[in-house]
Amino acid sequence: MKTILYWLLQVAAALLLAPLPIGAIRKVKALVQKRKGAPLLQLYRDLLKLLRKSAVVSDATSWVLRAAPFVVFATSLFAAAMMPATVRVLPDAFPGDLILFFFVLALGRFFLVLSGMDAGSSFGGMGSAREAMISALVEPAMLVGLFAVGLFAKTTSIPGVLSAMTALGFPLLQPSLLLVFLAFVLVLLAETSRIPVDDPATHLELTMVHEAMVLEDSGRHLALLEYGAALKQYALLALLADVFLPYDPFAAVPGVPGVLLALVAFAVKLLFLSLLVGAVEAATVKLRFFSVPNLAAIAFILSFLGVLQFLIPGR
Amino acid sequence: MEPFSVVLSALLLLSAFVLMASKRIHSYIGAFRVQAVLVALNTGLLGLTTVAATGRVDLLVVCAAILALKVWYIPRVLHRTYRAVEYRVEKDFLFNIPTLVLLSLSLVVVVFVAVSRIGAVQDGTTLVLLVDSLSTALVGLFFLISRKKAIGQIVGLLAIENGLFVTALYASNGMPFIVDIGVFIDLVSAVLILGVLVFRIESAFETTDTDAMSDLKG
Amino acid sequence: MELLLWLVPIVALAVLALPLPRRVRHAVSLAETLATAAVATFATWTVLTQGTAAPAMPGNLFYLDAVSVILLDLVALVGLLTSLYTIGYVEEEIRRGSLDPKKVRALYLLIHGFLFTMVLTLTLRNLGGVWIAIEATTLASVFLVGFHNGKAALEAAWKYIILCSVGITLAMIGIVFLNSAAQGVLAEGTSLDWTALFARADSLDGSYLKFAFIFLLIGFGTKAGLAPMHNWLPDAHSQAPSPVSALLSGVLLNAAMYAILRTAAIVNRNLGSSLYTGRLLVGLGVLSVATAAVFLLTQKDYKRLLAYSSIEHMGLAAIGIGLFTPLSLFAAFYHMINHSLTKSLLFLSSGTVLQKTGTREIGRVGGLLKLLPVTGPVFLLGLVAIGGTPPFSLFASELALLTSVFQQKLYVLGAGIALLLALVFAGIIQALFRVFYPRPAAVAAARAGTAPAPAAPLVPGEPNRFGAVAVVVLLALILVTGVFLPSWLTKLIDAAQTILTGQGGG
Repeated sequence: MKTILYWLLQVAAALLLAPLPIGAIRKVKALVQKRKGAPLLQLYRDLLKLLRKSAVVSDATSWVLRAAPFVVFATSLFAAAMMPATVRVLPDAFPGDLILFFFVLALGRFFLVLSGMDAGSSFGGMGSAREAMISALVEPAMLVGLFAVGLFAKTTSIPGVLSAMTALGFPLLQPSLLLVFLAFVLVLLAETSRIPVDDPATHLELTMVHEAMVLEDSGRHLALLEYGAALKQYALLALLADVFLPYDPFAAVPGVPGVLLALVAFAVKLLFLSLLVGAVEAATVKLRFFSVPNLAAIAFILSFLGVLQFLIPGR
Repeated sequence: MEPFSVVLSALLLLSAFVLMASKRIHSYIGAFRVQAVLVALNTGLLGLTTVAATGRVDLLVVCAAILALKVWYIPRVLHRTYRAVEYRVEKDFLFNIPTLVLLSLSLVVVVFVAVSRIGAVQDGTTLVLLVDSLSTALVGLFFLISRKKAIGQIVGLLAIENGLFVTALYASNGMPFIVDIGVFIDLVSAVLILGVLVFRIESAFETTDTDAMSDLKG
Repeated sequence: MELLLWLVPIVALAVLALPLPRRVRHAVSLAETLATAAVATFATWTVLTQGTAAPAMPGNLFYLDAVSVILLDLVALVGLLTSLYTIGYVEEEIRRGSLDPKKVRALYLLIHGFLFTMVLTLTLRNLGGVWIAIEATTLASVFLVGFHNGKAALEAAWKYIILCSVGITLAMIGIVFLNSAAQGVLAEGTSLDWTALFARADSLDGSYLKFAFIFLLIGFGTKAGLAPMHNWLPDAHSQAPSPVSALLSGVLLNAAMYAILRTAAIVNRNLGSSLYTGRLLVGLGVLSVATAAVFLLTQKDYKRLLAYSSIEHMGLAAIGIGLFTPLSLFAAFYHMINHSLTKSLLFLSSGTVLQKTGTREIGRVGGLLKLLPVTGPVFLLGLVAIGGTPPFSLFASELALLTSVFQQKLYVLGAGIALLLALVFAGIIQALFRVFYPRPAAVAAARAGTAPAPAAPLVPGEPNRFGAVAVVVLLALILVTGVFLPSWLTKLIDAAQTILTGQGGG
């Protein structure tokens, strides 16, 4: 019973909250640029509109193009649901592991990359190639960062990590976790096609990455892909919020109101992180594609230094 | 206080890496300034602790000097020098930037190994502090070696000095006051002299690329 | 009384900063070095009779003992002769139009500032202070190296300040760890005082000291011109105006060696043996001698030739300090003294040669014995001396050094050094023959090949009479010390060696 309730809650939270950070990031950027910007909930409307439309699929494509939106959506949703929105109603046997989390996301990306190449258009192939390169570049940073977190928690299972981080109180005061956090922010920017790596707002052929891969999709398929992307971003933000900002101000409030308050706190953390990402986006310019390795190198050294900072005192 | 020092030291090391990864002279100076702020914070923090413990204020004086010189004055001098002599981005490095950054990372590991062999450093926190600050100095040295523009080399020298100063701070709660002040005077005069030299080099060679200076060999 | 060592230069600097006619400047400069030499003599006498000279003053900063007073005397002596030489040098440069009379003030200010920082290095008790003073020597001499503002001079100045500043910063790490080693052992505020550190060396933490010494050696070794950190040295020495080269090579290198000596003594006393510092120092020393030997054989520029020979001799001194036996320390000191005098002789006379012939290239000089009736022969004899030929003093000290190596039963090392010395000798003698006995055709070809023919044929005669006096005095000194050491000097060197090895004294 508790398990079912938990998963229902998780999936609902993921589906409902996922488009929110994107709206927040766009709003922050707009405000920084002294524009009014689209409403906070614009993405919800876009998704609803797209979901009502049927998809147009080219005859020159295979089943991959048709399957990809569903795979992307499913894997992203799975990953997003794996990150607890609140730990209040944790089931007894809680499945979930950080390594599984990243590899589920990687499966989704694999299909996305394939679908980009499926139609045979040059832009889609270019986008896929770039996406594959970026993910390969940030992978070491991600894994080493994961390693650091795992060293702290002595496990990579999600509940184990969460309880270890909660026990620390304020993990960002640990230099090693602070560095890993910064590394993960960079990973997040790269993974979710944010500005220094990719510009989600552009459709300029020479620079786009994510948009190039979904160029062939339309209607419902596009909606699923966009929703999948939003869920992926939600999942990564939730990871940051859960691992690095585990502080729960309403820990004392019991019962259903407590759960609701905890969810609100979680949403606030998400918004805060979105603000951070929005600020980074507003403050930086898109990197030349050949400078992305530099960014990846920085993310990697951040993670690696994080591990070192953990190992040096010899705990 | 201690957890803050550890975080600050980690950020200091990070700033050295940011410096290493930057390409534009402007970002060098910016990164150096951030580093200097971190050094000042560290000094101020330790200074407050010593004032509370022993009533000695010399570290606070040094902190003020850092703020005045390294955060405000030296970056200004560097900017002015930069504006007067060149308008270009650094593009020739020893290796490309990711390689440089990864090599710097291995420097940190080397420092870790070396410092952990000092028998007297038993305490884990001290070890982290020393490794971080010494690595900052050595990454600064590596930065100096890897840059070919004159201003980059000046910034490298300053970065070494930053790391060194913090090492002194952590290793022994600061040096005798007169030594601290003497080091400062030396530093400022060194930067001024280097600044003047940059101007002269620019007018003699019409570039500040130190690779152009290769007449003297053997 | 000894505090006059600080006061005199400060007063002189203040006077030199005033707008004065050139003649008065020459006089002030000479008077300053004379006064310094007089005070140094007095200080030497104090040290000889009382062991140390540390007049009371706030902060107890001043400290002289046999170790520092030997080197201080060298600063005073070389400073005096150099300032004598500089008078004639400046006048000749102005006559030839290669020095703007307006820059004389700056030149003198910088030279005396430079001398002052070296005196400071040798008279401070606090090792942190010594560090500051050594960095100050770099800062004071950068513009001297780049004095001519030509491309090559600026390049040399840039290399010099960057390399030496980096080196000295690394030495600071060593000082920091020395300071941490002293924490808890020594009283607050005396944690870097050499006397205190040395007296309590046994109770310091050895692991800190070992770590510190590596950085100190790299740092001060850069300044002392030990290979592989020697890159700045040939450039700086060849590009600086000749009197400055004489100071750089003759005394600055010693000042850096002095810092190594002091710190090595602490570490050795703490570890109870000289094996640790010895390996490092001898390693660097042999590397320096070897590097110098290679470059000496192929050198085309006679000032660079002299610079590489400085690297060689500093390497030898480092080997002597590394062995740290009474005899080897004696040899190291003796060698530093001899090198200082011989090398300043050579740089000063090379300055005259440069003024006369206008070229630094060995192959294009030619006919010096005729052109420069006094300096020419002195230069010739100096080159013979620097190669380590008897009866000159460098031969005696090299012999003492080799003896000390063999005494330690380090036969391979001794044979290696002897072989390298033979190579060095070959390089220098080869250069000597090319300078003094060239085939006339080669000179003519070289002259015709590149440079425009000189407007007027070179006329024999000394352009710098004061300089000629200075180099003759130096030649006499190295001849005398080669065959006979005055008893007070022997006594002083013995005292220095006892202080450092910690047997008695202290």
